Amino acid sequence: MTSVARPLDDPSLRKDDRPPPFPRILVANRGEIALRVIRTCRDLGIETVAVYSDADVDAAHVAAADTAVRLGPAPAVESYLRIDAIIDAALVTGALAIHPGYGFLSERASFVRAVTEAGLTFIGPSAESIDALGDKLGARRTVSAVGVPVVPGTFEPAPLDRPDALEGIVANADAIGFPLLIKAAAGGGGRGMRLIASPQEMPAALVAASSEARAAFGDGSVYLERLIHPARHIEVQLLGDLAGDVVALGERDCSVQRRHQKLVEESPAPGLSVDERDALHDMAIRAARAAGLANAATAEFLFDQDRRFWFLEVNARLQVEHGVTELVTDLDLVAEQLWIAAGEPLSPAVRDAADRARHPGRHAIEIRLAAEDPARDFAPVPGRIGRWVMPAGPGVRVDTAIAEGERIPPDYDPMIAKVMTVGRDRRTALQRMRRALDEIVVTGVQTTLPFDRVLVRHRAFVDATGLSTDWVPDHWDGPGSRAASYATAAAIAATSTGNANAEARLAAPAPPSLRKDEPVHGDWRSAGRRAATDRWPR
Amino acid sequence: MAAMSPIRRQLVVPTAASAHPGDGPVTIDPADPSDATASRWGTTVGRLGPPDTEGRRVAEIVVDGWRYEFTVEDADRAALRERASRDRGGAGRVGGRLEIRAIIPGRIAAVAVTPGDEVAAGQTLLAVEAMKMQNELRAPRAGVVGRVAAAVGTTVEVGALLLVLE
Repeated sequence: MTSVARPLDDPSLRKDDRPPPFPRILVANRGEIALRVIRTCRDLGIETVAVYSDADVDAAHVAAADTAVRLGPAPAVESYLRIDAIIDAALVTGALAIHPGYGFLSERASFVRAVTEAGLTFIGPSAESIDALGDKLGARRTVSAVGVPVVPGTFEPAPLDRPDALEGIVANADAIGFPLLIKAAAGGGGRGMRLIASPQEMPAALVAASSEARAAFGDGSVYLERLIHPARHIEVQLLGDLAGDVVALGERDCSVQRRHQKLVEESPAPGLSVDERDALHDMAIRAARAAGLANAATAEFLFDQDRRFWFLEVNARLQVEHGVTELVTDLDLVAEQLWIAAGEPLSPAVRDAADRARHPGRHAIEIRLAAEDPARDFAPVPGRIGRWVMPAGPGVRVDTAIAEGERIPPDYDPMIAKVMTVGRDRRTALQRMRRALDEIVVTGVQTTLPFDRVLVRHRAFVDATGLSTDWVPDHWDGPGSRAASYATAAAIAATSTGNANAEARLAAPAPPSLRKDEPVHGDWRSAGRRAATDRWPR
Repeated sequence: MAAMSPIRRQLVVPTAASAHPGDGPVTIDPADPSDATASRWGTTVGRLGPPDTEGRRVAEIVVDGWRYEFTVEDADRAALRERASRDRGGAGRVGGRLEIRAIIPGRIAAVAVTPGDEVAAGQTLLAVEAMKMQNELRAPRAGVVGRVAAAVGTTVEVGALLLVLE
């Protein structure tokens, strides 16, 4: 099976005589995830209410919804993080449930309580399991209690409000050992996290991490954790119903990261033995049961060089990279979330997928395309998109809310698209990814595409032996890669502006620039196709 | 006009907003085959601006995903202009003075220095918050802080003057 097309009797949608799980829901998010949730709602016959800030008046998720309600000005604290405004919007429009997407309020227990107290259904785990699992410190306590190995570190927030307590924090740090990580208890996506090598760096790093955490999550609590290094990042997709039944829908390897944020995800994790995979899924299920988890969540682990798993945290929400699991399992995880929130037990299709996930027969890869400069340490570069061409074709799925000419606001996350491919095995999925990336045209802003193009051809990724959270520092030379294309770009600029016959010069193609390694497979490209796509826009 | 003459040497200079360290001016002779075989897969011309009063055009080029923005000008004409500006005394750079400008748009989250402060190379000067990340700006060399143009809480665009290092 390599097709992404879903069968008509898709079990997640259950298009039988029954009414949809909710007549109308509100989607408390923006961008591609809001659009993705709205799409499933439309599939199920659920009406949708979008919310938006002043920066998103013309955004795709607003256009796609049946109704839209303005929340406030562009900064997230004045719009997408306003619990009162979001609940008002739901009550005014008659929405009966709220889907939080990821980020923003998705893992805020206070939000879940406010939603429930307003008589609405929260589509996600309960406030109690978010307290127990969504908070990283709570998760460490809960999970270690049921015998799942957690990364060595502290179990209580560092007392930053008491200047005299610094000595105690440093003593804790010494006991854990340097280098170590300061992490935000409410954290995610690497925000509020600092790597420190010595006790001298602690005071400044504690303050910086805490203030970043407060700005991002409204909670400045931080704690200490040993750096497991080198390691792979492997996580398990969980789905649980309100009766307490939990299944694991396979794992994802998300090792390739920068700033502790994922750049690439794939499922299954390459190179795991059957026993390792079984043990991993079982640990994740045990952690979820301990916290009484319902709905969708992900348990994250580090996999060290001695092939040991260390529990990191549970993300009690839908993940950015959930689409990879959807491509492998053929489930619609958002639809499953909706059915579960409406009180349905885990369906036979979900149980089936969980069984198959132990012996995966497909492979999917996702690349997160972001408006970032990979030659400047992936610094965000907001701006206005010029041309915008996304890939398509067999085995390709693109989740995005961006269109040509659209402004990327500096107020939100720089991710602009998720490009996914699927195939019968990793090699096929990777071949399709190379082809898909070649089809992408984005002008107006710098994107992570140069990095992605090199990654999918690099031996240390292609043979999966180099998978590590250090992939970027180990293998990526951004300035060097950029410099290698500089002369070419200058020559094209000169010929396109100074020479009327420039178009005729689009001659034989050469391979894309690579840093250390040669391409492993021949690139799929043809002069004829290139000539058709790369016309000078006069 | 430039577009009508088929073969002229062109001076290609990265625009201030797009330049990376190491990006330098390049003179390209479209008549030279070694310069003209540059086009290849993964190459896009994003935007081609109209000529300005000096005959310069801005071109946006994407190669292998890398985005470049150049000002392109007839090389002979650029040489003439350069000579004229030198004769006028030339604006140039004030010796030792270094302007720190914003490389990303965002909100000034913190300013760690005040005028008169001596700073070491690599010392944090200020932080710009963009896309939920605090981006720390560090001193590219040692010096004394002159003017501080950035104020905490204000929003800055790319290229905005943040502070001056004397």
